[in-house]
Amino acid sequence: MARRVVVTGLGAVASTGMNVPAFWEAATSGKSGIKSDTIVAGEDLKITAPMARIEGFDDVAADLGRDIARTDNFTKFAVVASDEAIEDAGLHFSDEMRTRTATIIGTGIGGQEAMNTAYIGMLTKGKRAHPLTILKTIPNAAASQLSIRHGLTGPAFAVSSACASGAHAIGVTAELIKSGAADIGVTGASEAVLTYGSLEAWKAMHILSSDQCRPFSKNRNGLVIGEGAGILVLEEYDHARARGAKVYAELVGFGMNADGKDMINPAVEGAAGAMSLALNGIDQPAASEIYINAHGTGTLMNDPTETKAIREVFGVGADDLIVSSTKSMHGHLLGAAGGVETIMAIKALETGIVPPTINFEEPDPECDLNITPNEAQERSLSLTLSNSFAFGGLNAVVAFARI
Amino acid sequence: MADLEPTLLDIIKDHAVGLTEAPTRETDINDLGIDSFAVVEIIYEVEEKLGIEVPFNANENPLGDMKTVGDLIDGVKGLVEKGA
Repeated sequence: MARRVVVTGLGAVASTGMNVPAFWEAATSGKSGIKSDTIVAGEDLKITAPMARIEGFDDVAADLGRDIARTDNFTKFAVVASDEAIEDAGLHFSDEMRTRTATIIGTGIGGQEAMNTAYIGMLTKGKRAHPLTILKTIPNAAASQLSIRHGLTGPAFAVSSACASGAHAIGVTAELIKSGAADIGVTGASEAVLTYGSLEAWKAMHILSSDQCRPFSKNRNGLVIGEGAGILVLEEYDHARARGAKVYAELVGFGMNADGKDMINPAVEGAAGAMSLALNGIDQPAASEIYINAHGTGTLMNDPTETKAIREVFGVGADDLIVSSTKSMHGHLLGAAGGVETIMAIKALETGIVPPTINFEEPDPECDLNITPNEAQERSLSLTLSNSFAFGGLNAVVAFARI
Repeated sequence: MADLEPTLLDIIKDHAVGLTEAPTRETDINDLGIDSFAVVEIIYEVEEKLGIEVPFNANENPLGDMKTVGDLIDGVKGLVEKGA
């Protein structure tokens, strides 16, 4: 009998909420976490841009203990979200469970604040780097700190595939559980790039919006970077049932592939292929019962490409789908996008509420799906997808259904 | 070189999360609650305060057979002299 993977715990930290209930409440009421903000790293080092920054996180981080106090924000976000997810799952780790728990956390780039601080000090003041700079920066810092915090000794590593890191981490963890390499997975992703150096580098790419994130709207002009973490507890179904755990959903599909074409421009075939792989073998319900949490970055290229890909996969049924991009609210969490957005897909399945694409102002004939403009919609759902398509042409899609 | 002892005791005190009182030479190292991170930080602060480089390898179990804060102070002093 094939092993099945279910979701038993959720944890989120984002500009729109520092736990899942707050995050979900903001999502369903169309609340935005995006505003113009300035990051100051020195007298002549400042950058002003629209961003989705988490406010008040320091108060939350203050209670995380000494080990975590000495980590970068990307690790702190992952710790807060995973504490919530583990508690939500009602997990009390026995020694046996610890050896059977995987800790796989995605991130696009790891500890940027630590690296920025070190470089700015070195280059502007001739200061030496703090000796923990590397341990704060390494992309596996979050996975390592979580494994230490909970004594988890199963497979543990970081996954890095830019904006698809979170979806890849979740999908790979599910595959490990299916294969028998683990029974439980603490997985998802975290990102904290709202630093002076990182934002200047992003700005140089000319892909950021000058004001607002407007996915699928004709007047969209780029993405807005957010920060945070989304963590799931995945579990082998019989294991979850044996301990009487609450089950949110079954992870029924995971598709991943590469465009093999271009570092910046996405390809319809790649995105469509990843969705088809995620749907492969699933007994598909009517399209009207399917919600897709789109990658929907609000860039000129992504949204029409994703629309075409969805149409290619679902054919005439595409008009009956319900789709939205919650990046319009929490911004683009880059590596952590798949972390928080799978939570949207799971909560939508659970509650029958589809969070909206806010800031929708002008229809675009090239983005002509039902993208849930501006207000949440109620819909009886049987299957939900979370799409993640990364710079570099790496695609990952996860699918959830009720069990 | 000036006596390092008070400086070192001060630095160690800041990292001794396991203690309610100020550490002395006789304090058991196990009671300090310091870990491998803290040892690296203590050495770094010594370097910053004294403007020196301490020849220290984080992979060589820095606490080794040390039992008391006195042992730790003497160990750091030894490294400082080695680097001087």
